[in-house]
Amino acid sequence: METHHFHFKTRRHNYPQVVCANHRVTTSKSNVNPSVLRLHNYGNPTADLAKERAVSADETKRPSTGKFGRFGGKFVPETLISCLEQLEVVFHQVLQDPEFQEELSTALNDYVGRETPLYYAERLTAHYKAQNMGRGPDIYIKREDLAHCGAHKMNNALAQAMIAKRMGLTAVVAATGAGQHGVATASACAKLGLSCTIFMSAADMEKQPSNVDLMTLLGAKVEPVRPTAGSFKDATSDSIRDWTEKLGEVYYLAGTAVGPHPCPTMVREFQSVIGRETRRQAAEKWGGTPDAVVACVGSGSNALGIFHEFVRDPTVRLIGVEAAGFGLNTGKHAATLAAGEVGVYHGAMSYLLQDEEGQITCPHSVGVGMEYPGVAPELSFLKETGRMEFYSASDEEAVEAYRRVARLEGILPALEASHAFAYLEKLCPTMPDGAKIIISCSGRGEKDTETVFNYPIS
Amino acid sequence: MAIAAAAAAATSPTTARTTATLSPPPPISSSSSSSSYSSAQLNFGLPISTARPRTTAGLSISCTMTRDAAAAVAVTEKDDSDPALWSRPDAFGRFGKFGGKYVPETLMYALTELESAFNSIRNDPDFQAELGGILKDYVGRETPLYFAERPNGEGPHIYLKREDLNHTGAHKINNAIGQVLLAKRLGKKRIIAETGAGQHGVATATVCARFGLECIIYMGAQDMERQALNVFRMRLLGAEVRGVHSGTATLKDATSEAIRDWVTNVESTHYILGSVAGPHPYPMMVREFHKVIGEETRRQAMEKWGGKPDVLVACVGGGSNAMGLFEDFVKDKDVRLIGVEAAGFGLDSGKHAATLTKGEVGVLHGAMSYLLQDDDGQIIEPHSISAGLDYPGVGPEHSFLKDKGRAEYYCVTDEEALEAFKRVSRLEGIIPALETSHALAYLEKLCPTLPDGTKVVLNCSGRGDKDVQTAIKYLKL
Repeated sequence: METHHFHFKTRRHNYPQVVCANHRVTTSKSNVNPSVLRLHNYGNPTADLAKERAVSADETKRPSTGKFGRFGGKFVPETLISCLEQLEVVFHQVLQDPEFQEELSTALNDYVGRETPLYYAERLTAHYKAQNMGRGPDIYIKREDLAHCGAHKMNNALAQAMIAKRMGLTAVVAATGAGQHGVATASACAKLGLSCTIFMSAADMEKQPSNVDLMTLLGAKVEPVRPTAGSFKDATSDSIRDWTEKLGEVYYLAGTAVGPHPCPTMVREFQSVIGRETRRQAAEKWGGTPDAVVACVGSGSNALGIFHEFVRDPTVRLIGVEAAGFGLNTGKHAATLAAGEVGVYHGAMSYLLQDEEGQITCPHSVGVGMEYPGVAPELSFLKETGRMEFYSASDEEAVEAYRRVARLEGILPALEASHAFAYLEKLCPTMPDGAKIIISCSGRGEKDTETVFNYPIS
Repeated sequence: MAIAAAAAAATSPTTARTTATLSPPPPISSSSSSSSYSSAQLNFGLPISTARPRTTAGLSISCTMTRDAAAAVAVTEKDDSDPALWSRPDAFGRFGKFGGKYVPETLMYALTELESAFNSIRNDPDFQAELGGILKDYVGRETPLYFAERPNGEGPHIYLKREDLNHTGAHKINNAIGQVLLAKRLGKKRIIAETGAGQHGVATATVCARFGLECIIYMGAQDMERQALNVFRMRLLGAEVRGVHSGTATLKDATSEAIRDWVTNVESTHYILGSVAGPHPYPMMVREFHKVIGEETRRQAMEKWGGKPDVLVACVGGGSNAMGLFEDFVKDKDVRLIGVEAAGFGLDSGKHAATLTKGEVGVLHGAMSYLLQDDDGQIIEPHSISAGLDYPGVGPEHSFLKDKGRAEYYCVTDEEALEAFKRVSRLEGIIPALETSHALAYLEKLCPTLPDGTKVVLNCSGRGDKDVQTAIKYLKL
């Protein structure tokens, strides 16, 4: 059987040659100019939100390319292009529709439990100051773990389920890694009366059985991904395949800011409520902006959700923490931005983890939600422009952080979020006294207690 | 339960059973007791010497807190049809004839100290501000009042008060936070609590971690085996979990052990009681820390529909989440208060926890209240599929509200609760705790009796992640 050969140029800013054996890949029809930064999404953050959206809607009257610099795009089969264009049109419609916005706003408040608090972590702060002669930054935690279903995933799942309903579709399909997005999608579908199918790899189902149970209880159908090995990336592929088969009946609910345009933009838009709230809360609490915002990066939705608001503030450091798994040099990790190269995966150009033959590698992390070999194209862009810093934390450091935050603050952070907390060990000694760090606690860690329980203590 | 005091030795055999329920003294071999008292000394079969049992008109119990029995009775004779005028509780910690402080001498001082500390912080703006800040930023208040659109169509409008969205996933933390702040103010460095399935233990361990206090949780050895993950959670949070091997090695034995610890270490230690049961001032204190639920509801109701709720519904185990929702509305006679208990396998099976329906008045865990007891005055082991409702007693204030007719109490079986658990999960995408599911199940009987548009607020007291395995097993999903 003929093997597929994907060969990408990684250093020059040209479009790579893509050789595909089983379908014709095209970029979208619009004019593509990678050197022009199409930053209509990065409007003036202090402007009225509606105005900002009106502006971007104007600019996108014609179907856009969804490019972030050279990243992003719509590398998909022909069959999906019109579907994506239709989705984009509806997306812009709902952004403008006051009724939709009000319904979404009410649901976010009453159903999801927004706004989530910005919590001053007194004991965690004191812990780091004590290690540094009483000097160190003040640490604030953005409590996405308190959202309904226990993670930030709900912000996006709810909004997109509402879009599906508006489009007249009655069924939703989604892929999930750790299960958080699956649970959030199943929840939103139950609430809106949509039928729901979730694709999850068999290996992940074993690692997070509690989430599988939750989805089943919520009335969703959980499809194990064949073959039995595999992970989130395969679940995503399967669900996109399913979507392609049932276009017009089924809505594909992207859980994170990857995939073909408009998925990354949509997900980011719906998650950006996190950052907006954070800005207001920071202003309330100390009358300013944070000095650093730290978030874990799996595929990037929670990071983008909190970063997006601050991209235009040069004084705010944006710090992403990826999963170093067993270590960056072991090959068993998920640190895409640190160790990856540029290529096309799941319909978008972005950094991704590939071997010498251009095959996607299987990532590893103790935080299942971090195990994605790609990353949001928008984050790739932020990396390349130097706007964002990125580091990584190993499995061991993440588990240690889980225990530390539990002991000091009585909060069990999801193992994914624990990667961000782990990075505080290195960050705090370098920050001046009284600097403000906001760390995104993207989910709660009850689901990970068993993993931490079984984790060998060194 | 060894805490019941002998003071209320019934002298009139014709009245309803008001005997102090005395469980047999703990076996001498309880080497797990760290108390400096031997268990023989805690034998409550002997009357306490300071008791002066005197019957008074209308009551077959006497109060050891005053020699002048008349003062203790006066309250019940006034015209008390206006709930706003009821003393809840009165100066002796009584709600009518319920409540009180049936405890060993050694604990009296601790309770009095606790009461005066609580009264001092009640109106202390600094304390209230600190408490408010933590409830907002740490716990995630205020919790939304969510319109559960799907089960409606016609019929009443159902709103869920989302206590499931609190940090740790239940209402319990409101009280845990309040008590730990109070303990800090009292200068206590050590916190103890007992736990059955682990929920209250985890909530206590959580707040102790947050405030850096030493935390010891007593848990029956049997329960520890069944709930290994919760035990691990408590340990992760820095608490010490001590297994109790005496008796049936379950909740009531853990409670005895915790009391023993408190009696021994009363100066340094605060005992976080998880519900509106126990000796005064606990029922009042725990209610006060939870009443934020009802206060928020009032404001949110006004915002949403410009009025008050017509009916409030909550599940009742010990009764804390119900009191939290009801408290602010007790004085509003046009608001119906409905509590839902656990009927387990059914009221006739003998395997249930429907205290207010099937129980009789007695003293348990330091308070007079309804409780499930057999003909010998021994506590009946209750049953409910939900651990939180599996309590043979109930808060004295609920007993009071029931007798006054101010609140109505019904019950729902395990099966009905499981059905409601599944129904609400599938209709709303909210997985309610099995405890809460009892209240949700009662809606099936309640809604057909209510006119269209009636505003019903149900306290969604906790989330059901902890119950998923149980439910899936029983529902065979």
